[in-house]
This record gives sequence, structure tokens and C-alpha cells, in this order.
Amino acid sequence: MAGTAEAQKQISEVTGDYKYGFVTDIESERAPKGLSEDVVRFISAKKGEPEWMLDWRLKAYAAWQKMEEPDWARVNYPKIDYNDIYYYSAPKKKDGPKSLDEVDPELLETYAKLGIPLREQEVLAGVQGSAKVAVDAVFDSVSVATTFREELKKAGVIFMSISEAIREYPDMVKKYLASVVPVRDNYFAALNCAVFSDGTFVYVPKGVRCPMELSTYFRINAENTGQFERTLIVADEGAYVSYLEGCTAPMRDENQLHAAVVELVALDDAEIKYSTVQNWYPGDKNGKGGIYNFVTKRALCKGKNSKVSWTQVETGSAVTWKYPSCVLQGDGSVGEFYSVAVTNNYQQADTGTKMIHMGANTRSTIISKGISAGKSQNTYRGLVKVLSGADNVRNYTQCDSLLVSSECGAHTVPYIEVKNPSAQIEHEATTSKVSEDQLFYCRSRGLDEEEAVAMIVNGFCKDVMQHLPMEFAVEAQKLLGISLEGSVG
Amino acid sequence: MQDQPMTGYESQVQALIGTLPGTDDLRAQALEAFEAEGFPTAKTEDWRYSDIRALRKQVYGLAAPAETLPVLPEPLGAVSARFVFVNGHYDEDQSDLGDLWQTVQIRPLANHFMANAERANELVRGDDAISYLNTALLRDGLVLSVPAGVVIDAPIEVLHMMTGAEGAATHIRHVVELGEGAKATVVERFLGDETGYWTNALFQARVAEGASLSHIRVQEEGANALHTAKAYVNIDAEGSYTSVGLSVGGKTARFEAHVRLLGEEACAVVDGVALAASGQSHDTFSHVSHTVPAATSDQIFRTIADSRGKTSFAGKVTVAKDAQKTEADQSFKALVFDKTAEANAKPELEIFADDVKCSHGATVGELDAKAIYYLTSRGIDPATARQMLVAAFTAAALERVPAEDVKAAMADRIDAWMTARSVKAVA
Repeated sequence: MAGTAEAQKQISEVTGDYKYGFVTDIESERAPKGLSEDVVRFISAKKGEPEWMLDWRLKAYAAWQKMEEPDWARVNYPKIDYNDIYYYSAPKKKDGPKSLDEVDPELLETYAKLGIPLREQEVLAGVQGSAKVAVDAVFDSVSVATTFREELKKAGVIFMSISEAIREYPDMVKKYLASVVPVRDNYFAALNCAVFSDGTFVYVPKGVRCPMELSTYFRINAENTGQFERTLIVADEGAYVSYLEGCTAPMRDENQLHAAVVELVALDDAEIKYSTVQNWYPGDKNGKGGIYNFVTKRALCKGKNSKVSWTQVETGSAVTWKYPSCVLQGDGSVGEFYSVAVTNNYQQADTGTKMIHMGANTRSTIISKGISAGKSQNTYRGLVKVLSGADNVRNYTQCDSLLVSSECGAHTVPYIEVKNPSAQIEHEATTSKVSEDQLFYCRSRGLDEEEAVAMIVNGFCKDVMQHLPMEFAVEAQKLLGISLEGSVG
Repeated sequence: MQDQPMTGYESQVQALIGTLPGTDDLRAQALEAFEAEGFPTAKTEDWRYSDIRALRKQVYGLAAPAETLPVLPEPLGAVSARFVFVNGHYDEDQSDLGDLWQTVQIRPLANHFMANAERANELVRGDDAISYLNTALLRDGLVLSVPAGVVIDAPIEVLHMMTGAEGAATHIRHVVELGEGAKATVVERFLGDETGYWTNALFQARVAEGASLSHIRVQEEGANALHTAKAYVNIDAEGSYTSVGLSVGGKTARFEAHVRLLGEEACAVVDGVALAASGQSHDTFSHVSHTVPAATSDQIFRTIADSRGKTSFAGKVTVAKDAQKTEADQSFKALVFDKTAEANAKPELEIFADDVKCSHGATVGELDAKAIYYLTSRGIDPATARQMLVAAFTAAALERVPAEDVKAAMADRIDAWMTARSVKAVA
């Protein structure tokens, strides 16, 4: 494994501390603390939203107030005081930035530290043949810059912040927003509807193969801010798009809430590939601080032979509650879920997927790799459901858990519900520890224990990592090593 | 929750106060726990696949002794003793204790407490409304204590028969204890007429060091019956408990196994076959808890759902923090015969130790069309071909029935069920 040596170098460089735990000193503009109808109105007004959007938010807020926070996941955290959070925080600016030159240099520096090629020049000046990536950078709650706009425009691809889309393409937003995740879907989704501050909108027109990877980089900066992102991606007939999402947050003692909603819609023959590397601040070694990551991600394979593929590498967050799902409505549609979830110290992750087979000849694949270290708890929770009208459904599920310490937990909770005789559903799960034989072999070849574990873990995750786009695969591999640092011996 | 007829059970408990020595306080506590808990609803996670609306619609009275005694079927095989309960009452005339009473303690629960009131403290209280109700309303059952080193070869058959008990329930309780190195097999059978009754059975067992208990269940309740059964089993070091069930009867049937491995090298097996059709719902819930190192558990389940039938399996394996060297395996396979049938599975692992080997596999599908084609091309008619394939499909789950004649009787019932399917398909 070529990346391992490099990953090891990275580990020694960062010496196990959260690499992205810096705070950028930028004045930010905030809504008053707490949640009320006024705050919803404030956010809507700040975004210059039309009346229908405000109404929609207010209805969502009313619905949320009547809902209860879910408690079925295997995660424990102190009760969240929803009135002790800032729901809107924007870097202070008179107008929205018109070009990159207007973007606060300090902000750009933040992204540079994160290693995002925000400036097109940087990418273009990069290694020859390296893929181009268009970035929509979200800082706290506001999208600050979208790169490569011109080139995308030529292809007819719409890639902009969702607040812009609400203003510029209201019909399209109206048609698809909450069409996959209804407002009342769950507690956190309803909250997101009421207070989401920004996010990304992508529309790929008929027959267009998006010329580059699209990417959003989220970062939570301000203190006590919740980040409520909203992403909506629509791939029209025969379109293809690959979307990358990366997340980091600075170190803070307090817990920060992140409740995003991501909706994907794939029409006939369209394909969406959605990759996530989630590296929110996980809290310190004693479980203090860290992000609460309560995210609703769902794809609707609406058209015939459409395909959605979720790939996620989850190494961050103190608490994760996340189930990227596929509703396979179109006949012959395909859903995929490839996941690596690593937990260390006191992290808790409850993550998995739902594959709802509604159309005939629909297929799904689930590969989930959970790695628990330290005193963490790692749960896979998934559902494969076949409705009675869905003939010839195929599903293959594999959930493997690896335990790296004697004080952690690894749990598997799969649900299988089948109402059609022609379905073929297979589910396999295993739980084991890093084998002594493998460790011994690696160590006899001169690797120290930590290197050996990193190598074995990378091998364990290979089936998932190979589905990540190249740029992410390298970063993800490094992250795996960093996340597990200090977990051995 | 308002529609739950909880209060109706209070007077039933009152009526039983003073009838069994040592149980009055227990009944009162269980009733209190029952009322606090309430019957599970469709939203109760552990009951998500079970349809127990019947429990919320009516209060089941306590079943009275049968007016006319039904003709009882022959035992499933050679037995060393036979215990018969009709409508939940011990039927001394039709029971046969053989020579067993000379070596082991075997008697009805009621007699047992008459002699040793303090033994009532050993009764399991339960962990949900249904088991609490069993404790609050228990009247009779089997008490079997096998002393250390005693081996009983032939099974002890416990036959439950419900007759003329419309709207009535039996809350039967069996208590089994095996001393060190002892060995026994208990075969529980559940039968009944077409009335809408409720069997609420609870089986509690303690398996001492090196002892071995087999627990076979053949559930053939009447077509309108509600059947809920639970087994609570504790196993000491090197002891083993093997549960094999066959569920074909009743309208709604549920079996729960709560097995705790308490000593090293203890072994638990929970196997079963469930066949559901025509509005039946068969539900299995197992929870095997590894609390100490080096214990093993293995579960094999095979279910078949035909038209309007529903089978569900929820198997949970918990491995505690220090239970290193645990080996736990689960295999669940379901067949679904048509679009009105349904199969659900939830094989769950909950692991807090690192040096373990745990796995589960689950598949859902239909009979292999190629295999049917192969058999029919050899001159076997399609119905027989399907029957053969189903026999092969279920065989692994029956394999661990220790008595060959009982195992054959169970396989015969699966064959008969398949015959009924093909008769229906032809008609």
C-alpha cells in the first residue's frame, strides 16, 4: 500500500492532535441566540428570500415545535438546549462577494490551511493531469465563493449556493425542495427546514456529464453556532455528477450542533455519486467538546435505471446520527452505500443506510466497515425493505466491524423486510479484532505496532476506499491513520 | 394507550390471592409492574413485527377447567414422563409420571409451593407486560428438578391443550432446574381448538455446571389463538441449553428466548422453524447474552411465509465487556412464497469486548427455480419437488433435536404443511 508510508508521515506531523482545530478570527454577524419565529424571519430576511420561502420555513418551525427529539439511536449526549445556539452566523460583509478578490483574505487563508484549492489558479497550477474540482465553500452558515462557475455554466450545469438558487431558480427549488425528505420527516430535518442558512444547489441538465467533480467544504467556525446546511442535487435524464463533501470544524470545548439535510434526485438513466469525508472535531481525549452530527441524507432514484452511490468516510464528530438512504422508485434503479466509520476515544457513531425497493428490478449494495477504538461506540443500523410490487429485487449487504480496544463497542442492527417472493436478499456481518497473526507478520517486517494497525485497518476498508474519488482517497487514508492514533498499546 | 384494557386484570389477580403459598406479594408486585408498563404497541421496538391488537381489544379471562375432556394425541415419541395441562390446569388422570419420581423431583407447580412456600422467590418476575401478567396470574405448571449427575434419556413431554376457552387465557409457568452434570430433554407441545383463546406460557430454567438441557417446542395452537411464550434460561460453566422450536399454529404466535451464559464454556443453541400462512404471524425474538469469557452461542432459523402469512425473526447477541473469546453465530433464512406474504429479520449484534468472533448471516428469497426444474426434469412432480426442497431448507434448524423420533415428527409436520399448500395451489 503506497499511501501508508505517507500516511504515517502525516501522523507524525500532526502528532495526534486535531489538525484542523484552529479558529479563524473573523468578525461574524449573528442572529440573536435561541430559536423563535423571529429568528426564522431574521434568517429568511438576511437571505433576501421571497415570501413563499418564509412561509415554508415558518410552517416547518411550527411542525418542529410539535415533534420530539428521537432517542432510538445508540448514542448518549446531554440534552441539547435549542435556545442556547446561534442559528445564523455569517462572516461580516456588506454585500455578497462578487468575485474571489472580495473574499476576506483571512477566510481564504483558512481554506488554504484546510488544503482546499479554492482559487482556481492553485488547482490549475497543480500537478499536471490532476482533476479539476469546483468548490462551493461554506463558512459557518454562508456560502462564500463558488469556483469554476463559468466553465460549469457553459456545460449548462447550475452550481450555486441554495440561497442564490431560491432567488434565481425558484420554480426548480419549489419543485424539488423537501420532495425527498419531507419537512416532517424527522426532528432534525424539520429543524433544518426552519433555520437552514445556506447550502448547495446543483442541477445537471439532460444528457450532460458534469465536466468536473463538484465539491462543498463545510466549516464551523463561530462559537455556539449550529450549522444547518441544505443540499439539493438534481440530475436530469441521462445526466451524471460526482459530488464531494468535506467537513471540518475548529476545536471548541462546547458541543456544536450540525443538522444538515441532503436531498438527491436522479431522473431516468441519471447517476449521482456522492462522497463524504466527515472530519468534524470529535472532541478531545476525554470526550469534551466535539460536533453533534445529526444529518438526514436521502436520494430518490425517481427515474428508470437511475443510480445513486453514497460513499462516506466518517472519522470525526463526537456524536454521529446519519443514514444516507436510497428510495429506489424507478424500475431498474440502483442504490449503493459504501461506508467506513471510525470512532476513537469517546466518540459515538450510529450510522448506516436504508434501501427502499419500490420499483421492479432494483438493486442495492451495502458495504459497511466499522472500526471502534478507545472507549467509543460504533453502530451500524440499516434497513433493506422490499415492497410487494417490486419484482426481482437484489440486495447484498456486508457489515464488518473491527475492534481495536477492549473498552469500545461495536454493534450491528440490520432490518430486513421483504414482501415480494422474487427478492434475493443477502446479509452478512462479522465482528472481530485485529488478528495477532497479521500484527505479528507486519511487525516481523519491521513495522511498529501503530503502523501495522494502520495498514491492517486500511486493508480492512479497501472495499470502500476504492469507491472514493482519487483526491479524497488519499486524504481519507491519512485520516484513518490519524483517527486511530494513540489507540494502540 | 387509552384503549388498553389494563384494569380488567386486577380483579383476576385479586381472585388468586391466597391460592398459592408464597406468591401473594409477587402477584401484587407483578401486577403493579404490568400496569406501569402497559402492553406493547406497534411502536414498541421489540414488537415492531408482532400484531397483538387482540390484547388491547379485550380482557382475557382466566380459562376454566374443560367441561369435556378432549381426546389427546399420542406422544411425539418415546417419553419418560408425560405432563398434561388442559386449559392451564394440571390433568392428573391423563398425565403419566412413569418412574421418574423415584430419581428426580417432578410435580405440578401448585403442589410444589404447597410444600415449599419460600421457593416462590425463585420465580422469574418478567421483563415486559406480558411476562409480568404471567407472574401475576400464574396458577400451574411443571416443576422439574434433576439432581446432579442424573441423566434422563427419553424426553419429558409437556402437553398444553386449550378447549372451549373463547376469550380466556392461561398463564402457565414451568420451572426447570438441572444439577451439575445432569441431562434432560423437555418437549413442550401446544394444541387447541378453534376458539379465540390466549396461551401465555413462561418457561424458566437453570442449567448448572456441566449440565445439559434440551427444550423442544412444537406449537400447533388452534387457528384463532394468540400464543406468547417466553423462555428465561441461565447457564453455568460448561453447561448447555438447546432450544429447537417449530411454530405452525395459532393466528398470532411469538416465542422469546432470553438466554444468559453465566460460566465459561457455556453453550447456548436457539434454533427454530416457523411456517405462516393465511393471516398468521409468527414471530421469534431471541436475546443471547454473553456475560463471561469463552462461551459460545449458535442460532439457526428457517422460516416460510405463504399467502398472507408473516414471519419475523429478531435475534440479538450481546457480548459484555469482559466476555473475551466469545464465539457467536446466527444464521437466518426465509422463504417468501407470494406477494401477500412477508418476511422480516433483524439479526442484531451488540459487542463490548474485542477478542470475539461474532457473525450473522441472513437471506430472504424464494425456492430456487433451477432446483425445482432439475427435480421435475427427473420425473418428480412440482409439488413433491417443492416439498423436498423445503425439507432440505428446514433440516439444518431441526438437526439439534436430540430425540430422533421427535425430530421425525417435526419434519412430518413441515411436510404436511407443504402438502396443504400444494392442495390449495391445485384447487
